[in-house]
Amino acid sequence: MWYISLADLRFRQRRFIIAVAGTSLVFAMALVLAGLSGAWRVEAQRTVREVGADAWVLRTGVAGPFTALATMPAALAEEVAASPGVREADPLIVLRQTVRLQGDLTDANLFGHRLDGAGRPPEPVDGRRARRSGEAVVNRTLGVDVGERFDIGGRTFTTVGVVSGMSYAAGIPNVYVSIADAQAIAFAGEPVASVIVTRGTPSEVPAGFVAMPSAEAKADILRPLESGIKSIDTSQIMLWVVAAFIIGAVVYMSALERVRDFAVLKAVGASSVSLFAGLALQSVVVSVLSSIAAMAITQLLIPIFPMEVVIPSRAFVVLPVIALGVGLVASLVALRRAVAVEPALAFGGP
Amino acid sequence: MRVGVSDLTVEYSSGGYLVRPIDSLDFEVETGQLVLLLGPSGCGKTTLLSCLAGILSPTSGTIVAGETEVTALRGKQLSEYRRSTVGIVFQAFNLIPSLSALENVAAPLRVSGRTSVAHARAHELLERVGLTERVRHRPGQLSGGQQQRVAIARALAHDPPVILADEPTAHLDYVQVESVLQLIRELAAPGRVVIVATHDDRLTPLADHIVELGARPVMVETSPRRVELEPGQILFRQGDDSDLVYVVEAGEIEIFRVRADGSEELVNRIGPPGYFGELGPLLGTPRSASARAWNFTVLTGYSTADFQRLDKTAL
Repeated sequence: MWYISLADLRFRQRRFIIAVAGTSLVFAMALVLAGLSGAWRVEAQRTVREVGADAWVLRTGVAGPFTALATMPAALAEEVAASPGVREADPLIVLRQTVRLQGDLTDANLFGHRLDGAGRPPEPVDGRRARRSGEAVVNRTLGVDVGERFDIGGRTFTTVGVVSGMSYAAGIPNVYVSIADAQAIAFAGEPVASVIVTRGTPSEVPAGFVAMPSAEAKADILRPLESGIKSIDTSQIMLWVVAAFIIGAVVYMSALERVRDFAVLKAVGASSVSLFAGLALQSVVVSVLSSIAAMAITQLLIPIFPMEVVIPSRAFVVLPVIALGVGLVASLVALRRAVAVEPALAFGGP
Repeated sequence: MRVGVSDLTVEYSSGGYLVRPIDSLDFEVETGQLVLLLGPSGCGKTTLLSCLAGILSPTSGTIVAGETEVTALRGKQLSEYRRSTVGIVFQAFNLIPSLSALENVAAPLRVSGRTSVAHARAHELLERVGLTERVRHRPGQLSGGQQQRVAIARALAHDPPVILADEPTAHLDYVQVESVLQLIRELAAPGRVVIVATHDDRLTPLADHIVELGARPVMVETSPRRVELEPGQILFRQGDDSDLVYVVEAGEIEIFRVRADGSEELVNRIGPPGYFGELGPLLGTPRSASARAWNFTVLTGYSTADFQRLDKTAL
């Protein structure tokens, strides 16, 4: 029966090509959505990893270093550094700020770090790390080049380095300055930090403080995005349904037009199961072709998005599998048509 | 292969009414014969073909093909009978439009899993029906006659001993009819029977045997007949052969139809000087409704010829 189904695909190729085009766009959108939420996870992981901390020492009761702010003396880093298990400890300030660039305001994640301490940016792709107060390293998505100046909290900084892929909270770029500059911006120059980051895990911390592992710090970044990620996941499911609907509608219309063919085939001995298998094959071919086309379309769509899109590689494996499932579900729509048709219908006139 | 039909009756519901297109039909077809099922539209030709093909179960009666009692087959046995014993040439060809002539002919073999021989057999059959040059053409690229020949080749794919053809000339012009009829006639060879349903009288000289279905227009030569009915007495029933036209002289007649669920639907109640039942005898169709006396009723039954001579202005 498969060759009859494939011949029908060829015979009605325009319709099926339109279905593949529509479905591949839907699949591509689903992939891009997966890429958006994927990027949020990846950027959170990168930001935490680049700080290079084994533990994040915070005031007890603080949700995390990225979403809550409770200051502590920066000098506490020395006390923590003396704790068993700690090789090194540095004060760090992490807070949300607004960058004013040529009159425009942009949100940024401000990292105030010791110039040679933990929390400093990775090696810039352009320029260098900050060496003194008034210098900043920014993520490329801030749109600032080396040598350009911008304001944060009324202070002017000169961009000395540009890093790539350093952002969090749905693509908000990171800006790295000296801890002294961050203290001046947010705490009137008070020698405070929002977190002490350590290399080595402290076996004990000062009273009133807790040591948070990096996995929890990453979860702290992602927590505010949970509803967004869930919305994206829901949108993805809706897109799968739309894809199934498109394929189902096309296969169903094809089945409607082939009722007489089904009757003839049944009259010459074809079973309902084999007819359904033929319809399922059509759906699967359309959906798998659509998934392949979607992978190509996705590469065209990604540059359009203002945010980073990181499609997990497993999505490219999972997509054809989901497409297979979508195709099979879609073909169920036409199942009744194939099963219900009476072979006696073949005797009818034109 | 011999085909026997015995006391065959088919009833089904149509538009909510019980219809009996075939009523106690008997006939036999011997091997090598070409049999015509002749009759007007709606007389049950296609219904009978469907029963012979094993795709419709009759209400009662038996069909025997060779040693097989077709009416006793069920499920897979019936599918196997359809695959191996019967080849069908459908009205309007019913070729699958997406397949080439070759693929259409090969389809029944592929469906039954005989893929290895399908291609060669399809070539052989298309050569036999004179379409060697058209094997790669799709139905839309073939003339009506060529399509019908492909349909015949498809029916022969399994070399079945019974060939059923439904109105094989219905969509052909006279040039195409000739080659198709010649082919059908040649098929009726020893070991095979060919049963053709048609309303085309021109085919009768080709047939070895003709089964007339449906009454022909009745030309009853009888003098007007007075009929008296007691209340509730039936004059004729739905499905009976039509003979006379009745004029109501006194009393009232109920005209009613029997629905598929057995209930009755009153169509009309006719009193003097009304008349009823004129179309059946004129067209040769069975009574489409039943007639029953509402009270004591007196009628006069006329032949169609006498009825046509009556002065209708008085009725």
